[in-house]
Amino acid sequence: MSATPLLRIEDLRTYFYSRVKHAFVRSVDGVDLEVMRGETLGIVGESGSGKSVTMLSAMGLVTAAPGVVTGKVTFNDEVPQDLLQGLEARVEIERRDGRIMRVAKDNPSWQKQVERNLAGVRGRKISMIFQNPKMALNPFETVGQQIAESVRLHTKLNSAAEAREKALYWLDQVRIDSPRLRYDNHPFGLSGGMSQRAMIAMALAAEPRMLIADEPTTGLDATIQARIVDLLDDLKNRLGMTMVLISHDIGVISRLSNRIAVMYGGRVMETGPTAQVLDEHAEGHPYTRALLASTPRPENVTATGRLPAIEGEVLDTINVPCGCRFHARCHRINDAVRARCEAVEPELFEIAPGRRIRCWLYAPQ
Amino acid sequence: MRRSSWKAIASVLSQELVTTAALLLGVSLVVFLILYLAPGDPFAALLGGRNLSGAERDAAFDALGIPRTWYGQYLAWVGHVLQGDFGISMRSGQPVARELFSSGMNTLFLTVGSLIVTLGVAVPIAAYAAVQPASLRARAGILLVYLVSALPTFWLGYMLIYFFTRKLGLFPILSGSDETQEYSWLFALLPVVLLGLGNGALSEIVRYLREEISRVMSEEYVRTARAKGASVWRHAYKEALLLPVSQIIAAKMPFVLGGAIIVEQVFNWPGLGRIAWQAAQDRDYPVIMAITLLAALVVRLGSFMHRAVYVAVNPRASQQ
Repeated sequence: MSATPLLRIEDLRTYFYSRVKHAFVRSVDGVDLEVMRGETLGIVGESGSGKSVTMLSAMGLVTAAPGVVTGKVTFNDEVPQDLLQGLEARVEIERRDGRIMRVAKDNPSWQKQVERNLAGVRGRKISMIFQNPKMALNPFETVGQQIAESVRLHTKLNSAAEAREKALYWLDQVRIDSPRLRYDNHPFGLSGGMSQRAMIAMALAAEPRMLIADEPTTGLDATIQARIVDLLDDLKNRLGMTMVLISHDIGVISRLSNRIAVMYGGRVMETGPTAQVLDEHAEGHPYTRALLASTPRPENVTATGRLPAIEGEVLDTINVPCGCRFHARCHRINDAVRARCEAVEPELFEIAPGRRIRCWLYAPQ
Repeated sequence: MRRSSWKAIASVLSQELVTTAALLLGVSLVVFLILYLAPGDPFAALLGGRNLSGAERDAAFDALGIPRTWYGQYLAWVGHVLQGDFGISMRSGQPVARELFSSGMNTLFLTVGSLIVTLGVAVPIAAYAAVQPASLRARAGILLVYLVSALPTFWLGYMLIYFFTRKLGLFPILSGSDETQEYSWLFALLPVVLLGLGNGALSEIVRYLREEISRVMSEEYVRTARAKGASVWRHAYKEALLLPVSQIIAAKMPFVLGGAIIVEQVFNWPGLGRIAWQAAQDRDYPVIMAITLLAALVVRLGSFMHRAVYVAVNPRASQQ
């Protein structure tokens, strides 16, 4: 594994303007992530933690204003390429007390710049699959046409017949039964699981360097979920593909990823190898521990027959509190660190090689 | 296009034919009854206003082969129409079919042309405003559209005539009356533009299209198209353009025909609208009946076109 990450996200901030509340929703608030070649990075967190928006922002797919505010996304394929290059010039930010108060964005030219930066990357080098595959596939075209389009756009195969053959090959690769029949089906004629397989086939047909899977199993039946996870696992190993997997389902994440990033309130709270982050008995961020304790597993059920929930409210991403984002809900906060937890936001402290935790409990002495 | 689409269009066409036949029968009956019950007697008009006694009248009817009862007369008319005979205009003495054909072509040119103008203006503005809602150009475009739509057609029409014929002297005032003027062919475009811009529907169409386009643009499958590096419009045009535009054409057909009457008056345009206007004033019964039928048919044609586009585009509709 080479030392330079395939994808590096630095200080990414994506804010949305809420007209109702006249304030910014800080969906992504300074995210740093690295995706190494060949690895699968799992991004986990509650709904609204900004995990999907992070990757959508990196891919220039956030269209609502103001959207992506600042950040740097470097894609190191053959030559390093900043996917958000030149966007600073199109966003004007007014800060007060170190906080972003106002964002003026030249949306049309911003959009143009994004399209320019990502041409040749989106779909070709980085493919995406989404949750809700039936909605995410074009309802007016057959799945075969949509896969063949991907083939013709991104590979050297150009004739309709070749693209069709290749599309059938990919339908076979994602183990759809009777690909020739399915080729001519529209998304509405397929089940959720089959649609997701078709979606995966479409993403892989471009033969990308990296696959971003945004909640690929959410909304599918439990048995289908397991099969899609198996399929992704198998394809990833066979194709040696780099993958970013976004899910709130720790089970899915633990099956597929080598490394995990835990997000909360638009920030990465903890990163590390999967086994270490998910080990309940090891050291870790209090948020991750609480998240693990609330996953539905037999050993987590309390004496009253309930699952322990994380106390308190999900973080208000409009009025982000001072200090650690999680301190109000933290059960491990103690008098020794309380003052710091409430006042200053911790950095990601490196507690072991490749393992970082954003918590004052792990601050170097 | 897929074979299933053609099949679906054929099935829509057959349904549409049945409905249209029933509708035409209904429309003609209603109009016939209204004309029958309206004051004034076409027979007396034919005789130059001379009133006949009941017995004389019956004898004259029998001699001319006209049924005495209203339903008899109606059925006789239907019988003739089914043989392609729409009767003879009471005003001009010409066969109605021939008279309507030439003016019908004029109106067709006017209405189809005006629809093209309307859509040619509305689609780009709506698409731009949907994609770049906050931009100054989009706002200016929308404002302009509202302004133009708010102007009454007849006023705008007279202003255009005044400007082009009196100020610039480009066109003759009466169409076809002066062949020597160089730009007289351009005169034909003036009413087309007027009906296209000033029929009041423009702003409504722009608003509807803009909403449809921006709705479709935020659909998940359009995001997928972007994520896979494909053209957004290639994926979005069916739902964002084809369906709403055909819907607009179907819905606006009656209003465009109605607007044509006014524009034809203003421009002295020898179309159906003017003939209809004159026929209504002269009580030219055969012409009124034929024009009503034609208008109903055109409106049905619009709705057929919309349904055909719908089933052709929508795989779900064509497979049910």
